[in-house]
Amino acid sequence: MGEILKKYKWMGPIIDAMDRDVKRLFMKNFRMRDKNFFPEGEYKADIKNLVNCMLCPNMCRFDCGTLQAEQKETMSPAYKARIGYYLTIGKIDPSKEENKAFIDLMYKCSNEESCKIWCPFEFSVVSLLETVRDDLNDKGLMPDYCKEQIDKLKKTNTIEDHNIYETYKEKGIENIETDGNDEVYYYIGCESMKFPEVVKANIELLKKAGVRFSTNLETKVCCGGPAFNIRDLETAKDFANRNKDLIEKTGANVVVSDCPGCVVTLTSRYQKAGIEIGTKVIHIVEYIKQLIDEGKLKFEKNVSDEFSKITIHDPCLIARNLNDTTSIRAILNKIPGLEISEPMYNKDSVHCCGWSGTAHWADRSLAIKEAKNRVNELKETGSNVFLSACPLCELGLAYGLSEGDKENIKIIDIAELLIKAL
Amino acid sequence: MNIENFELIYKDNRVIIENKPKIKEKLSKIVGNANVSDNEIDIMAYNKDTTLLAFNWTLEGKLTALPDFIVWPETPEQISSILKLANEEGIPVIPFSEGSGAVGGAIAIYGGIILDMKKFNKILEINDKDLTVTVEAGTNGMNLERYLNAKGYTGGHIPQSLYTSSVGGWIAHRAAGQFSSKYGKIEDIVMGMELVLPQGDIIKFKTIARASTGPQLDKLFIGNEGTLGIVTKATLKIWPFPEKRALISYAFTTFEDSLEATRQILRQQIYPAVIRIYDADETYRHFGHIENAKNKVMVVFVCEGVKKLVDLEAIITRETCEKNNGIDCGEEPVNHWFETRFRVTETSFAPTLKMVADTIEIGFLWDNAANMYHSVLETTKKVKGVIMMTAHISHFYPNGIGFYFTFAGIPPEEKTDLEFYQEVWNTVVKVVEDAGGSFSHHHGVGITRSHWMPVEWGKAFETLKSIKKLLDPNNILNPGKIYESPWDEGMES
Repeated sequence: MGEILKKYKWMGPIIDAMDRDVKRLFMKNFRMRDKNFFPEGEYKADIKNLVNCMLCPNMCRFDCGTLQAEQKETMSPAYKARIGYYLTIGKIDPSKEENKAFIDLMYKCSNEESCKIWCPFEFSVVSLLETVRDDLNDKGLMPDYCKEQIDKLKKTNTIEDHNIYETYKEKGIENIETDGNDEVYYYIGCESMKFPEVVKANIELLKKAGVRFSTNLETKVCCGGPAFNIRDLETAKDFANRNKDLIEKTGANVVVSDCPGCVVTLTSRYQKAGIEIGTKVIHIVEYIKQLIDEGKLKFEKNVSDEFSKITIHDPCLIARNLNDTTSIRAILNKIPGLEISEPMYNKDSVHCCGWSGTAHWADRSLAIKEAKNRVNELKETGSNVFLSACPLCELGLAYGLSEGDKENIKIIDIAELLIKAL
Repeated sequence: MNIENFELIYKDNRVIIENKPKIKEKLSKIVGNANVSDNEIDIMAYNKDTTLLAFNWTLEGKLTALPDFIVWPETPEQISSILKLANEEGIPVIPFSEGSGAVGGAIAIYGGIILDMKKFNKILEINDKDLTVTVEAGTNGMNLERYLNAKGYTGGHIPQSLYTSSVGGWIAHRAAGQFSSKYGKIEDIVMGMELVLPQGDIIKFKTIARASTGPQLDKLFIGNEGTLGIVTKATLKIWPFPEKRALISYAFTTFEDSLEATRQILRQQIYPAVIRIYDADETYRHFGHIENAKNKVMVVFVCEGVKKLVDLEAIITRETCEKNNGIDCGEEPVNHWFETRFRVTETSFAPTLKMVADTIEIGFLWDNAANMYHSVLETTKKVKGVIMMTAHISHFYPNGIGFYFTFAGIPPEEKTDLEFYQEVWNTVVKVVEDAGGSFSHHHGVGITRSHWMPVEWGKAFETLKSIKKLLDPNNILNPGKIYESPWDEGMES
């Protein structure tokens, strides 16, 4: 209330000048503001901001990845908020089978949060949709594709249908179990395990820098990020607590992850869930930059011609959530002879690869369209090597390649490039 | 069905489509299954545009209008086939793109087919020598401007709806941007067009700097609001990105002084890209934190372009303001305007207080402009329920100006939102038309203003209606707009 009065101070003289009847109506409307449009009973949905969003002229629409992918008004942010509001107040009954498409819309977001940059209220649409998901979950209306992810987490401790960490031997990844006295815990994301060359490269870099670290793949579990996205907070907290124990057992001063999603989950998402990891958690690009600054890592070799001209795809979680657009560039600038090109949408204006959030579960073709859009933007730089620092980006971008692209374009993680220059 | 839970505002005279599955099949044959929908979730998404009253209805759980189908064509040929089908079957077709229109121009008031242009979103070519960009009509304004900026240009067309509007929408509604004193309005910017006529013919107007080849037919389609044709592609003027910007602001004791200063600036052929005069109430609302502007009228200017020219424009602008008793307020008010010009929060706030608000942008010549402003304010404030009536001037010419009035009110208990809204509008338009002004400067006609067309156009309106009949004999392209009004009853109130 105080916030509103401050913002609308200019209305003071207008209210003073109102006729008695009009003022009475105005004051009644002001007092009833919440009652008139807020649902009765208990709910978790952020009604205030859903209303703010649904009544906005869609000021973020041009940068909404899913809307730009689908090019349908149905995917517009304000419409998603509107449907969220109607589902919450019961204007659209979420329990009816015929309304599944409306529920699905609450999950068709790639969490890129570029909307937040343009939002007059400074929130991201996904932060509102998550509160609608909370109510849907409480009513037992979690979509099947989300239940499948939760089932996988519970059965395999990862987001895959098998425990992907157990594949380390066959993939030739060295496992280093902790002795409880680590300098660093190299925290490998579930999705990173799909890119063994990246994991191996990171291990090589850490070894080269003389870092004392562990990987703990025998006991490693998912960070719980997918459960946070789905808003199964019970499962999410279970993973958070298990990770907290695992991290504490390493004695590490710092947790370094190759997955930005893990970093965001282990830090701000755990914090919001009331679970504090006492250890500092950072993305590996920040750590590598630190190692370079300390003189522990040096890149003296030119990379081969094949990789000498790269274009950077900033992972949106690193750029906008961890607010770090400098580490990647600072590292790459240390590689002799490397030609770096920047796409038009880069740094904190980066467009998503399509593979973040829940959209790729709710509507895979939508996520692929988003990935294709991003691939097309990257191709405009003329470089055939797309470099990122996130396994989800590398996965998403790969889905965005056409058959022709697959022959010409390489998608690599920064670590893969770095070991070529060691 | 969820739609039954929603009250429909425009529910009369809906087209009856007897065999919807058959029509859907035919549409699918034209654009493919994925590009046609009659699903509730899609047709509800296209129920409204950015008409402010529609936000009140949205919060109240009402639908403004309801199309029967949405189609997303990808080629002009597909649009042509859709229009031919619509003519055969007698189904309205309503062009839609980003939905930022403020007058209901893209609303399916009689149902029918919403033809969404979003998939026409490619920026095709920049020609540096000719200073042109060729772009598909569904391209979002901000995405075009960002692209141009990245390549070292500006389009110069920066409406407040930049983030939420499209090239086709600008052309359809004869739009004007905030920087238009320098770069011109959309009719000055469009150099060539491709469009599909109501009966399916695809025509092109060549891109040329100027020609004397008979009447300027292309201008007929700029401002046609999707009733005479659907623009699919346009070539627009572009400009090198400005080398320098000068940010200038002055506060004036009277509204008259501010008008006089700006009139004299333009008379000297000085064209700051942005000029905005805020009356005392709007100055308090937007610049309440500027000490020198207390109880005054704020004017902000942005001069931009080549450095030497900008410096000269800035000198003449300043001198003229000071000669007319302006008080220099520095760059801060202009920076504040830059920071807040796209931060629209009022549309989210007003409906929660059951407040009805709208903006009325009217065109007027310089002579008698101040009197007209005072008359509009005085007369409108007498309408029962009106709690606020303020104005700024956002568009300037050597010969006249574009006023932008903003009203808000609490409808009295005996009136519906719509009746109250219409009463305010009637009051303003009567004053403006009696004084020789135009009821719209740049938002267009749409649904909400069409009943004033006979007053605005006089006998020439019959000519316009004849043109519509010639091009669209079955009245299938965006019916219920411009030439006819679904609001006749409201006129009685």
